[in-house]
Amino acid sequence: MWTRKASFTFAGGISLILIGMMISNHQMMILGLSFVAFIVANSWISGHGDVEVQRTLSADNLYKGDDLYVELLVTNRSSRRTQTLEVYDNVPHEMKLRSGLNQMKMNLGPGESARIRYVLRCPLRGHFSIGPVSLRYRNTFNLSVEEMFVDHHSDMIVFPQLRDVEEAFIRSRTPKMYTGATTLRTPGPGTEFYSLREYVPGDPFKNINWKAFARTGDLMINEKCRDAVTDLYIILDSRDIARIGTVLKNPLEMGTVAAASLANFFLQRRDSVSLIIYDEKLSYLPPDTGDKQHFKILSSLAGVAPKGAMPLQAVTNSLAARFSRGSPIFIISSCEGDGTVPAAIRDLVGRGHEVTVLSPSSIDFERLVSRIPRMSYEVLKIERQNRMTSLAGFGSQVIDWMPDMDLSQALLQVRGY
Amino acid sequence: MAADGNSKFKRIGLQFAFWGVLIILFGTLMVNFVNIGQPNQLSAYDDDWDDLSAFRQDINDMGIKTKSLVSSPLLLEELEDPRNVTFVIAGVERDTISLPQFSGDSVVTFASEDGYSPGEVDAIVEFVIKGGTVIVFEDYGYANTIAEKFGVKFKRAQLFDTVYVHELDYNYIWTCMQLSPCGMNGTVIDTETIESHSRWNSSDALSGRHICAVWADLMALNGTTISKDEAGLCAQHHQDGVIEYNASYQMLLNNITSIDIDESSKHSAMITQGIRAVSSSEATIDINGDGEIQLSTNTKTPDLWGQFNLSIEVCASVTCSPFEAGGRVHFIADGSTLINAIYDYEGFNAGKYGPVTKEIPANDNRKWALDVIAEALMGLDPVTGMPLGEPSPTAMVIFDESRHVQSNVATDTYNMLYFVLVYFTGEGLAKLLLFIGLFVLFEGVLLKKKDPDPWRHVFSIIYYGFGDANRYSYYAKTNKIKQVFLSKVRNQNGLTREEFDSMPARELQAMIADPVLVKFVFENRDFTLEQTVAIVKRVKVWGRV
Repeated sequence: MWTRKASFTFAGGISLILIGMMISNHQMMILGLSFVAFIVANSWISGHGDVEVQRTLSADNLYKGDDLYVELLVTNRSSRRTQTLEVYDNVPHEMKLRSGLNQMKMNLGPGESARIRYVLRCPLRGHFSIGPVSLRYRNTFNLSVEEMFVDHHSDMIVFPQLRDVEEAFIRSRTPKMYTGATTLRTPGPGTEFYSLREYVPGDPFKNINWKAFARTGDLMINEKCRDAVTDLYIILDSRDIARIGTVLKNPLEMGTVAAASLANFFLQRRDSVSLIIYDEKLSYLPPDTGDKQHFKILSSLAGVAPKGAMPLQAVTNSLAARFSRGSPIFIISSCEGDGTVPAAIRDLVGRGHEVTVLSPSSIDFERLVSRIPRMSYEVLKIERQNRMTSLAGFGSQVIDWMPDMDLSQALLQVRGY
Repeated sequence: MAADGNSKFKRIGLQFAFWGVLIILFGTLMVNFVNIGQPNQLSAYDDDWDDLSAFRQDINDMGIKTKSLVSSPLLLEELEDPRNVTFVIAGVERDTISLPQFSGDSVVTFASEDGYSPGEVDAIVEFVIKGGTVIVFEDYGYANTIAEKFGVKFKRAQLFDTVYVHELDYNYIWTCMQLSPCGMNGTVIDTETIESHSRWNSSDALSGRHICAVWADLMALNGTTISKDEAGLCAQHHQDGVIEYNASYQMLLNNITSIDIDESSKHSAMITQGIRAVSSSEATIDINGDGEIQLSTNTKTPDLWGQFNLSIEVCASVTCSPFEAGGRVHFIADGSTLINAIYDYEGFNAGKYGPVTKEIPANDNRKWALDVIAEALMGLDPVTGMPLGEPSPTAMVIFDESRHVQSNVATDTYNMLYFVLVYFTGEGLAKLLLFIGLFVLFEGVLLKKKDPDPWRHVFSIIYYGFGDANRYSYYAKTNKIKQVFLSKVRNQNGLTREEFDSMPARELQAMIADPVLVKFVFENRDFTLEQTVAIVKRVKVWGRV
């Protein structure tokens, strides 16, 4: 594609030729022809974008707010010079350039390489992809410019931030609801050694005690103490209404942070954690323990987006059979725009679940983006307080979570209303 | 994704449609202007029997440059030395392209006449006035726009004469370049009737004689003999080491018409009109072209009978002499006078231009043509003004190929585009249009041509505020405040909705225990803004211990 400069030169050349013909001025015609010839000759010496790119990331998975170090290696694999080559690494606009630049102008000889290094800050959770790499090459006189891209992508997941909530549970005024994994003096799946027994077909090889086998000549199996674990259910409200507020501060963002932190806390205590997300549909991650479950939960939370308006009671009704008896349930919801919340909580409590409602104060989030008249705000707050009171009246623990309040601080206020 | 695909297809379809329509429009335009016809004839650059290559080769052999004009005679205005240029128009086979132009009184007109546009005719007239020589060979074509400008007119209908070549057919007419017609003696020309050229055989020592005769006299005075190569432009008269100029021309024409003198349209700059050749007095012209001669006045279009002009010379000087300023135009009533078959009859009869069915008789077409060239292009001594025998250093013959029908699209399109180019750089109105076009082009480039924007990473997280501002006023209404307060009372006291609804008013008043709020709940009246604010404050603190 011609640049503006080339277009002007060409139009000028043609004009000079024609005007030269009009007034029979050969010098003018020759000058015009020179302009046109200059354009034609330049079109034969354009650059190229035949380069190989390789991107290296400091991490594929990171937490919201973390820095990502990116290095892009560009190698000219042609036998010609690239001329003026502009390389631009397409970075999602949700990421902020912290240092360095994601672009560079270069003129690489055959086989030469150049590196572009930059640091990104990721203020938003989500699934992101860096790339493709855009290339723009010009010829020496900047008369033509061509654009292309190298379809090279690097995917990554930005998890919600994890907050330390241990202190909240230690300093809580209420008795500890969840004790974490405890060992029972009976054989079963667990971590602590219980006894040795003889091998029976079907036992996993990894449990064979090879030293005992060497000593006795018989296959012996290590038996473990059974761990008693608590199944914990976290229900996250991801309905459309959960996006009240700003992109960084809204009930959903705070909810994902809370869900990730709670899951992390309980998984570290070897509890079994389940994650339920409801928006326009229901997403259910069965309870499990370990790092794998932790990754699954964080990945799910990274991809959560506000949409839909599924009522909470539909969630609890469809999953009631899956909830372990008496297991604790965390409901993270603003409880706005859903008239089924009291009934759902009443049912859960009635089935013997320990229900904790962590409710980001949506009216206070709304206040961040909208000028609410003082009197209306007070009335709205009273109405919300009424709602929280009624939920507490059904026997659940209710936490009214204000936007500027830290999670552990919010958890400390677990109390009966 | 599907929507993207549809949109892409629509866009491609739209582009196809656009280019399709554009090509159809351009094709329609080209069909109107590009005129593919019979294989090229009367071209100086083809060597078929009906082309003019032998004439051009003779000219080149004499050391004169030849060029073809494929665009427009407007270019004649650009010639630096028209005095030493001869412009040959051999058959005007097609009409001009009608483009707008300024007429003499600065009014925009379209060329509506045949052959050449007014601008082109004006260019030819100017060329003649400046001393150039034009030879127009024409029979039934479109040369009348030029002819009329010089006060003559082609009849454009076939002329039949009794003086024809009996070995061939009646289409081959004999004529002599003289004021009286030559006659027949049986089946051959009666040599007794052959006279001399009316202008080139005058008794005037200089201006009334052909330039070769003058030069021959000069050579004779010097007493030098010359070879044929040294005879230069007069080599056609070379005999035994001397120039023996002979002013009689027995011309062979084919499928001819006649030329009328039209005094009414004579160009003011042209001074002399001279008839150079005529038909016999028994010639007829088939005006309606039906192949029959009907002279009766009863017929709708009676044919003509009598003597007709076959060659007229129009000059911009009194004597038509090459020693005076001003050029001349030779009109010949036959487009094929110089075709290879007649011009180079020896070569033709020898099979040089293809198979021969009938031999062409000997004729003086070549001698006449070369004498015209000699008169037009012979160099003169700058001191004495006498002829030098050799062509002038700037001598040039230009063949007009712009009105010849081409045999393929590419050539005709090229000619047409070249014509447009010359039109836009030669015609006044077109120049104006071109200036405007160039101005618009520059403006277009300035406005539309953008360089790609520099790349820049933009950190942008969408700030999606969310809220329902319409409900704020609803929450300021008294009834809503009342409802919220009663809900608070009910919750605070652990009552169900049913229990609360069935509770006596006195009990509720006692439960509220605040006279202001009791009044607010039980009195249905309007409250001022200040009162409402005060009530909300009381509701807020109500129930706190």
